[in-house]
Amino acid sequence: MSKETVGRRGFLKALAAGITAAVSLRMWRNATASETAGTSPHKWAMVIDQSKCVGCEYCTQACRAHNDVPPTIAWNRVIPAGKVGDKDVFLPRPCQHCEHPPCVEVCMVGASYRRADGIVMMDYDKCIGCRYCEVACPYGARAFNWEAFTGPNPAVPTWGTPEVERRPRGVAEKCSFCYQRVDRGLALGLKVGVDPEATPACVVACPTGARKFGDLNDPESEVSQLLAKHPSYRLREDLGTGPRVYYLPAHEEVAG
Amino acid sequence: MKTIKRWGFRRGVQLPAPGPQAQVKAPTPYQWWLAALAAVMAVGASAGLIVFARGLVVTNLTDLVPWGLWIAIDMSSIALSAGAFLLCAAVYLLGLKQFQPVARTATFVGLIGYSMAMLCLVLDIGRPDRFWHALVFWNPHSVLWEVTMCITLYFTVLALETAPIVGHADWMQRRWPRLAHWLTEVHRIAPVLAVAGLGLSMLHQSSLGATYGILKARPIWYRPDLSVLFIASAIAAGPSLTILASMLAARLTRRAYVNDALFEKLAHYIGWVLVVYLYFRFWDAFSMTYTYAPGRTEGLSLLTSGALSFNFWVGEILLGAVVPILILLTPRLRRIPLVRMMALALVVGGVVAYRWDTNMVGQLVMLTYLPQEIIARYTDYVPSLIEFLTGAGIVAYGLLAFTLGVRYLNIVDHRAAPEAEHAVRLALAAGD
Repeated sequence: MSKETVGRRGFLKALAAGITAAVSLRMWRNATASETAGTSPHKWAMVIDQSKCVGCEYCTQACRAHNDVPPTIAWNRVIPAGKVGDKDVFLPRPCQHCEHPPCVEVCMVGASYRRADGIVMMDYDKCIGCRYCEVACPYGARAFNWEAFTGPNPAVPTWGTPEVERRPRGVAEKCSFCYQRVDRGLALGLKVGVDPEATPACVVACPTGARKFGDLNDPESEVSQLLAKHPSYRLREDLGTGPRVYYLPAHEEVAG
Repeated sequence: MKTIKRWGFRRGVQLPAPGPQAQVKAPTPYQWWLAALAAVMAVGASAGLIVFARGLVVTNLTDLVPWGLWIAIDMSSIALSAGAFLLCAAVYLLGLKQFQPVARTATFVGLIGYSMAMLCLVLDIGRPDRFWHALVFWNPHSVLWEVTMCITLYFTVLALETAPIVGHADWMQRRWPRLAHWLTEVHRIAPVLAVAGLGLSMLHQSSLGATYGILKARPIWYRPDLSVLFIASAIAAGPSLTILASMLAARLTRRAYVNDALFEKLAHYIGWVLVVYLYFRFWDAFSMTYTYAPGRTEGLSLLTSGALSFNFWVGEILLGAVVPILILLTPRLRRIPLVRMMALALVVGGVVAYRWDTNMVGQLVMLTYLPQEIIARYTDYVPSLIEFLTGAGIVAYGLLAFTLGVRYLNIVDHRAAPEAEHAVRLALAAGD
């Protein structure tokens, strides 16, 4: 009888030890998980000047053409955001490429991940389509492929082809800061954010120059200069996500 | 005298001489029941094939409400399977051996519940062909990763815990005596399995709540209470389903033998668990009524006065908690089997309502991110016919599995001498 009691205690002790081990393992993992693997000399960011944006949605279309985004999805939405004075104001919304991306934190297979240069990426070959990232993203930046996108993409002009592979049915997709243009540009020795070939498609297509892209680690880059000279804000900063998309608010004097 | 062939497994068994009425062969209620379940499952399976063929576009899910009916069924079946780990822990860790036959039923119910959850998930993920990614590619930072790992491991535990049940079945011992022997031998590690089951279940039953609770983007979900409430409600509802199913089986078939005194004791315990759950639930909800918090306040009013208010007040609180508490904590009422069964059915319904409401409330209201107007926007979702049909098919599968378990595995049988005692002694002796 006493043997049995000791045995039972032994089990409970083992259980307690097991739980403690599991919890400490998790805490240790949590402490390291948000650290992005590797290092990068770059810190990519986008600056969007709302006083210049006229809501033409060229950025949305250019994005569709370069990234083969289906007509039912917009990686880069342009949202009406009220008026300043008598001028309509818009809020173009790409993926915010957060420093602490909720989508990366919750993705169970690691299909969402963050590169050292700050680009939040999607591994479409890993994604199982659970849509936890969609629920977790405060910016609605993610879209799910509810059905297969087949046939020609109406946004792609006859004289060009998209730069990335089309996503299959059943995975989530989102803006990638045109990582393919950035990476190729760097490989070719181009200046990202200056040379159009090395700059995200939406920035290149914007007819009013409302969007700028560049390296925050380079104090001479246009984005660094703009942020140094103008007041800026980011979306839902209260959430602590640390977006890498900065907005220069529209002012009445500029708008008028 | 002629041999009646019944259900394959009984082939060749001489049954008592059939009377003249046996030759009429009118389907028995049992056969009707099986036929009905098979029909619902067939329809569900066809609907499931449509889902696989055409993709999730056949659902009414959207990018704003990406988790719907299937997730609610999945969450509910896991909560309702919680009887397995609780009763196994009671029997093998706390030494309450008299509950061993109930633990047996609970284990089988758990195995069914978790397989239902997995069926739902396979339907629900966009790439069912990649279900194995969850086990191969790890992001330990994700709550859902932990849930997936726990569920997979716990399903293995449940399968091992069910092995002796299969091994003890008459037809198994007659046909494959050696295999049956091996299966019953698994019983030696029952205490170890109970420890594993307790640990894994405590982890994932709570983190299913945390799956919602960690999302800052959805203020009504973003609170630590959800993990506590999820495990508390599962601890009440899991054993409720096991007892309810056993009592129903005992009433409907001669193959189930129950000791009502065990159920009465457990029902009493469930009453107290519900009190604890309601206590946490009250403070959790009440504290949210103070100060306006964007998104959260709107979510709470969806529950208390909006689209989900009937579910909340009637399904979750009144019928799901208050009425069962009154019944289960009043000895006079609790002792009447029919009244007790009704109370347990209400607890089961209450937890399903709670899982549905929780899943919906965070998605029906969302916050905009425009700088000047962080305001709540409302979305809506009604499951599509295909979602209903597949969901019904999965529930029918669960009912069929339980029915067949009662019929061929004697999973509701309190006559058997507790196998536990012997096994525990052996295992402990080996451990010392």
